[in-house]
Amino acid sequence: MKKVLLAALDPVHDNAVKLLNRKLSELGYQTIILPPGVHENEVIERAVQEQPAAILISRTLGYQVAEILGRLVDLAEAAGLREHTLLGVGGMAITRELGAELGFDATFTGELDIEEVVAFIEGKYLAENRQKIRFRHEKPDITGGYTYQFKDPRIEHLLDQITDQILEWVKGKTTPAIERAKIRLAFLEEEGGNFLDSNHKRAGEYLERYLKWCGPQVQAFYREGKLPEGVRRLNAAEVAKLMARLKQTDCDSPRLPPGGGKPLVFVQYGTGCPLMDSIHIKTVEAWGADGVLHFDPSWGAQQEGLLEGWLSHQHDGTILTLENLRLIRSAMQPTTLWNVRGHRGLNTPEVQILAATAGADLLKINIPYGATAGGSDPARLTVDGVYSLRLAAQYGLPFDIPGNDELSGVPPHKTFAGMLVMVMLGLKLGAKPIPKPLLCYSPYMQIEGQMEDNYVDMNTAKLEVWREIVDAPLWPGEPVGFMTHTADRIQSAVTTAAHVALAASLGVDAVTMASSDEAYSKGAISAAARVDTLRAVRDMLRFMGNSRFQATPRAALIQEQLRNEVIAVLEKVAQRGDFVAAIHEGLFGNQQDGLYAGRVGRDTVMIA
Amino acid sequence: MKRTLDQVVDALDIETFVLCGDEEEARQIGERLLAELNLPHGDIVFLEFNGCGARLRLRSYLHRPGQGYPWLSPQEES
Repeated sequence: MKKVLLAALDPVHDNAVKLLNRKLSELGYQTIILPPGVHENEVIERAVQEQPAAILISRTLGYQVAEILGRLVDLAEAAGLREHTLLGVGGMAITRELGAELGFDATFTGELDIEEVVAFIEGKYLAENRQKIRFRHEKPDITGGYTYQFKDPRIEHLLDQITDQILEWVKGKTTPAIERAKIRLAFLEEEGGNFLDSNHKRAGEYLERYLKWCGPQVQAFYREGKLPEGVRRLNAAEVAKLMARLKQTDCDSPRLPPGGGKPLVFVQYGTGCPLMDSIHIKTVEAWGADGVLHFDPSWGAQQEGLLEGWLSHQHDGTILTLENLRLIRSAMQPTTLWNVRGHRGLNTPEVQILAATAGADLLKINIPYGATAGGSDPARLTVDGVYSLRLAAQYGLPFDIPGNDELSGVPPHKTFAGMLVMVMLGLKLGAKPIPKPLLCYSPYMQIEGQMEDNYVDMNTAKLEVWREIVDAPLWPGEPVGFMTHTADRIQSAVTTAAHVALAASLGVDAVTMASSDEAYSKGAISAAARVDTLRAVRDMLRFMGNSRFQATPRAALIQEQLRNEVIAVLEKVAQRGDFVAAIHEGLFGNQQDGLYAGRVGRDTVMIA
Repeated sequence: MKRTLDQVVDALDIETFVLCGDEEEARQIGERLLAELNLPHGDIVFLEFNGCGARLRLRSYLHRPGQGYPWLSPQEES
């Protein structure tokens, strides 16, 4: 291995060179470390003897820094070292400007980044373009290494019964969404574009067939060019300006967990505008996020059919169109993971198609959750959901199963029972499910007083019970810490970071985190609020390292109780023998829990 | 770009601490401050009064999602 000479040109401060000495030695480099207080001529004399590949200098004191370092560079030059020895400098007194001005080959500022130092020694560092060092090279696979074996035969048997009934029930049924999805698929395969593009020979024909299955708002959009209230078309000039702006950026960044590894960190976006989303995505990438989740507006999910084109509006959620999705994808780093949700509305199958076409890595489907509260009619979403799972399998895209019905007041065992049905259903259809138990301080927990002492026991139990049931990836969300946030950005960042750290401590595969604007409801989430929590998470994960949270013995008791209650729910659903009726009758959450069956799309299931 | 404020992506937050007698007084100070600074779409995001004063966070959305964004244009164009 190469030889490296380390010296602190400082009377006392030599921590940095000692740290470098250890890290470089561990990596196999032959290091020579000089004592603190050494003079610049002594460094050069030793370098002439040793002929190292690199000399790394540290300087903490600001006094006469330019003079001392300038002399060192001059001496190195005079001794002929510069031809084959790299000269690097770092420390509290050093700025990039000073290092460059004095003629060093590299200047290291901020916290020690050993990968950056190694790249320098190996000649891969370009001082004028630090971003040339790549931190991320490929997209991780969240589901890799999991067998999806059920560890509890009783639960497996119940899920088998329930999902067999679902698959039997959906046979021979279709919906307007499925019919649209088939038309969309055929059109994409044939033309690959949008309905309003006059260059596509058969676009008009496809559009007419498509509109037969659409609601009045979507029909008015295509036939009369009428935009829904508050929606604005973005023009090509705006999009071109964004693309030009993004060309200047490279947001490759070190991962948040120190040294990489689990968990992957995801952030939700959906500002209402794909241009603003793109900037927010670049921001979270630059601050270390691994992936992002697309949120669409609720009104879009409640109408039959999807619009097209670059569209923005001034409300939460970004309109789902193929062009918006493609624009957003093109703004991302190639290694950023991308999830598109479409599980709560009337366009679920079509959303999977558009998402996959635009380059999504993950989909989101949860029938019991999507078929409650403001969501779709249970019968409708069951037919659409099964079709969507088949699409996910066909595309080879994992789908995640959010457990956010807990936010309505549903106890976790009912939510988990519904999620488990989705796991089994997905597996039977060849898809790869990812359960997303919610780490939160839910209404149920608050009313029942189950988390009064701490937030660790319940959340630990909620994750561990999944491990006890099935060998599947775990991705707590959505976002973690729900209902623990306030509008105080410091408090909000701390509580988010604590929940991420707890999840990381429990070895989860991924986590979805909030911004510090999570509890502020009078305006859009700001870019700065996204940075707040990512910064807090980075430091919290650094603080935790490989240490672990220690739950109290109560966690094990909660876990056991949860498991038994999940079984009890599944027994009732299996006994009912009708999944759709089970949702209507509140077996996965009833009105007392704050939940009711979804109404959107009622009576739209048809015989195929 | 003509104005430095054009480079703000979305919201401008101002955090400060004001001496006051109670929460209501702090709110009034926050509202007056937003008006004096002449910032558009002003709001008090967070306010916490304790003892002698209040910690305040004021926000102005300079560029809301869905609007035109001056930061998209290179400097020489505007």
